[in-house]
Amino acid sequence: MEVDREDGRSQNQLRPLACSRNILHRAHGSASWSQGDTKVLAAVYGPKAGTKKNENPEKACIEVIWKPKTGQIGKPEKEYEMILKRTLESVCILTVNPNTTTSIIVQVVNDDGALLPSAINAACMALVDAGIPMKHLAVAICCCVAKSGYVILDPTKLEEQKMKAFAYLVFPNSVHSVLPEGSLRVEGEPIENGIITSVTHVDDYFYCLERGRAASVKLSDFLRRNLQQQSTDSSKAG
Amino acid sequence: MEGRLANSWRLTVNDKNFIKTALLSEIRIDGRKPFEYRKISIKFGREDGSSEVQLGQTRVMGMVTAQLVQPYRDRPKEGILSIFTEFSPMADPSFEPGRPGELAVELGRIIDRGLRESRAVDTESLCILASKFVWAIRIDLHILDNGGNLVDAANIAALAALLTFRRPECSLGGEDGQEVIVHPPEIREPLPLTVHHLPIAISFGFFSNESILVIDPTHNEEAVMGGRMTTTVNANGDICAIQKSGGEGVPQRVIMQCLQLATSKAASITKQIKDAVEVVNTERALRKVKRHPTSTGVDVREKQN
Repeated sequence: MEVDREDGRSQNQLRPLACSRNILHRAHGSASWSQGDTKVLAAVYGPKAGTKKNENPEKACIEVIWKPKTGQIGKPEKEYEMILKRTLESVCILTVNPNTTTSIIVQVVNDDGALLPSAINAACMALVDAGIPMKHLAVAICCCVAKSGYVILDPTKLEEQKMKAFAYLVFPNSVHSVLPEGSLRVEGEPIENGIITSVTHVDDYFYCLERGRAASVKLSDFLRRNLQQQSTDSSKAG
Repeated sequence: MEGRLANSWRLTVNDKNFIKTALLSEIRIDGRKPFEYRKISIKFGREDGSSEVQLGQTRVMGMVTAQLVQPYRDRPKEGILSIFTEFSPMADPSFEPGRPGELAVELGRIIDRGLRESRAVDTESLCILASKFVWAIRIDLHILDNGGNLVDAANIAALAALLTFRRPECSLGGEDGQEVIVHPPEIREPLPLTVHHLPIAISFGFFSNESILVIDPTHNEEAVMGGRMTTTVNANGDICAIQKSGGEGVPQRVIMQCLQLATSKAASITKQIKDAVEVVNTERALRKVKRHPTSTGVDVREKQN
């Protein structure tokens, strides 16, 4: 079913992606991620000694601070912080540096839809820039379900407001492995990390998952190219 | 918790001595001369009223928003201007989230004094209906990277954001002319703010030996310097504000030297801000003329099993 989206994209088309790392000088790691007009800046400080009171000192701890563009910090910001924290805790290897805290600060520069997935992507790149040990990268994508049942990827703010339901899906990045295929799959299926959703119908949800997984492959390729390019640049300079 | 997370950054004794000794020969550690300003780059975001300023390694983001509110009782015909500074924890490991500390409050007050008391922003033009509705302009300054001299960078960010901000046009209506109708930007073109002049903040650092003076200190120099002074001047040569809070005493002639230096620097910075704003305004005008989708996007195809 062909759907007309306002900026001329097709259903499965993502907005242009742009990412740059190491943009801040004081932070240990930093990254800026933009999907179309949505732009997010993430910075990482860590690992610092000590953990907070309620955290397990046998593992590393992750602290997320979400800074909105304008206004006071309220409940939505706290929710984003919690979601980011849980997602990143599942991606990072927490046993390498026990009793430490890694702080991730996310600053919203512009919000034009798909804000939380952009923030997750930016935070991941910032963690890579800081050299925090991670199992794999987290690739986040937003799928929306409209009232008439079609699914679109990476909505803008106007599209988001018109949708019936949305699903933010976070996948591990695609694997380029020299080992035979299937060695990194769990029970024959590629694993997923985080699913934050408000979709109610089961069929819609599985449909979103398929679309999201296909999109995550594209995003993983973009991330891989971006990281490889920047690492070869720095080796030429040094 | 803060005590356990040991993250305070301290300069070593060797570094401090090096900086001081180099200054005796008029050499600064980043290669500048004592009266040389760092490179300023001013960028703007997609929305009206958002700016990002980079002064050397210091990075500040400014955002201007407006809201219709009731005016203060003692000033029924004036709009409201408020400045919020956010020392984001990403700027410096010692910045904690939560309530603004001393530095943040001082920075906010310096910029506020420069804009409000010098009448740079015309608040009377923000009045729509006296005693009932005025525009409250809110400036949010986010410090993203602390490379020293946050005041100057934040001031430039605030000015750049104010100059590119557009507030919606509104008219009086209703039965007795007491209701305010705010027109959306698609119907009526939003209006710029009236800014009479640009107060530029220029900061100086004083060092103990032989009254050494530097302009635009970096954060290494800030850790070593004995006192600081911020002067807010505009391109016409008016001195809008001076802030010298504590630190070591300096002789009178040094203060006069600072003021003269500041006036000459202010002219070049004002020109830079105005040029950058001009470029953005022409770009915006062009964008309104021709609209075409510029995004090419990444095509995603589903895998056929």
